[in-house]
Amino acid sequence: MSGRDTVTLNINGAALQASAAASDTLLTVIRDQLLLTGAKRGCNQGVCGACTVLSDSQPVRSCLSLALDCDDKRIETIEGLSNDPAMQTLQHAFIAAGAFQCGFCTPGMLVAAFALLTSNQRPSEIDIRRALSGNLCRCTGYKKIVEAVLGAAEALAWKVVA
Amino acid sequence: MASSPALFRPQTLAEALELLASTVDARPLSGGASLVAMMNAGLVSPAALVSLTRIAELSGIHVTADGNITIGAATRHNTIADDSRLGGTASVLAQAATQIAGTAVRNMGTIGGAIAHADPGLDFPPALFAVDAMVEIASRSERRRVSIREFFTDWYTTVLQPGEIVVSLEIPKPKPGVGLYLKHARVAGDFATVSVAVSLARDGEVRVAVGGCGPSPLASTEADRILSSDTSPTAATRAGDLLASLANPVDDVRGTAEYRKLLIPRMLSRALNDAVAASRAAA
Repeated sequence: MSGRDTVTLNINGAALQASAAASDTLLTVIRDQLLLTGAKRGCNQGVCGACTVLSDSQPVRSCLSLALDCDDKRIETIEGLSNDPAMQTLQHAFIAAGAFQCGFCTPGMLVAAFALLTSNQRPSEIDIRRALSGNLCRCTGYKKIVEAVLGAAEALAWKVVA
Repeated sequence: MASSPALFRPQTLAEALELLASTVDARPLSGGASLVAMMNAGLVSPAALVSLTRIAELSGIHVTADGNITIGAATRHNTIADDSRLGGTASVLAQAATQIAGTAVRNMGTIGGAIAHADPGLDFPPALFAVDAMVEIASRSERRRVSIREFFTDWYTTVLQPGEIVVSLEIPKPKPGVGLYLKHARVAGDFATVSVAVSLARDGEVRVAVGGCGPSPLASTEADRILSSDTSPTAATRAGDLLASLANPVDDVRGTAEYRKLLIPRMLSRALNDAVAASRAAA
């Protein structure tokens, strides 16, 4: 009962098998077994946001999710989202704005920003700061990250018009 | 390293309560926002986890025919933040929900899990005081209802007994009026250093409660009586000073006890002032 169980997870559209104990988090399984290392283990307490992934399209902390409890969820990581045009626009905007230094928080920032732009196509600076308030960056001071998300929103809106 | 727990994922409340009653060292697991963080930190290593998030009767917000509101224990913070039925005085609950942690945590954490964990810096408890919520509790053998005012008994401790879980929060029919939740935290998303919840009904009834200053929110029938007859700045100061005199906060990383006692009357005055202004704007 308290050994390891095989679990099939729906990750980035694929059914992936992993072996997990009940206390193994989704973050541990996706990083250490499935080798999807975009999501980072920062605080492991749900505070820093570096492990953010989408579960049924909503941003969640993979470090606070038990892997065995995620078998009925549709999980998307930065690796899977990187094929999405909106995510690519965000990534280009981060590069253009220089919105990183060490880069550790970047995957979580991008996933959180992607979730914001999915629900709010024209966010204000305040909307962006609120949506990213659960993602810590110890390098940039956030200014360029906020500018990058604003820039991505503008570029995406422009694409819709064009 | 401690051995991994067994994970149970019941579909019904009866099944969950049976598992909690019959399994040694079983812990109810709701959104995971607190319990999994504590497991990750090695603070707890339960022998079994009973996941509550697939039990339909624990989820969602329901309005009864007489207007009372039932919030299932496994309802996520973001669901509460976004529900327009929490209007009038009950909007204090939705406002508290929007200020919990960040949106990813609000997609996970649940109101029942939050109050059962009973962290003194939580946002829901003072808001639940302000709306006079009742807590519905169940075990395998019994169901009982407890006023939120009697629910928190000590630091991180509630009236819940082993085998019992919170089933729902019952909110009396919201009154026309204003609810307001004012939070002071070191940064957005942190636990409150001090928070103030206000329910200001159009009929004049005022309820206030202070969070972050002890194991249970702070409230006083005398402070509510003062404010129900007079919402002037002078009355707000009197009520705020009274609540500060009753507070017995501690020093911690979020602020000293002295600082918290200074914040209480100032925040109460501001919250009441803002609530009165919102009430006039709506009239």
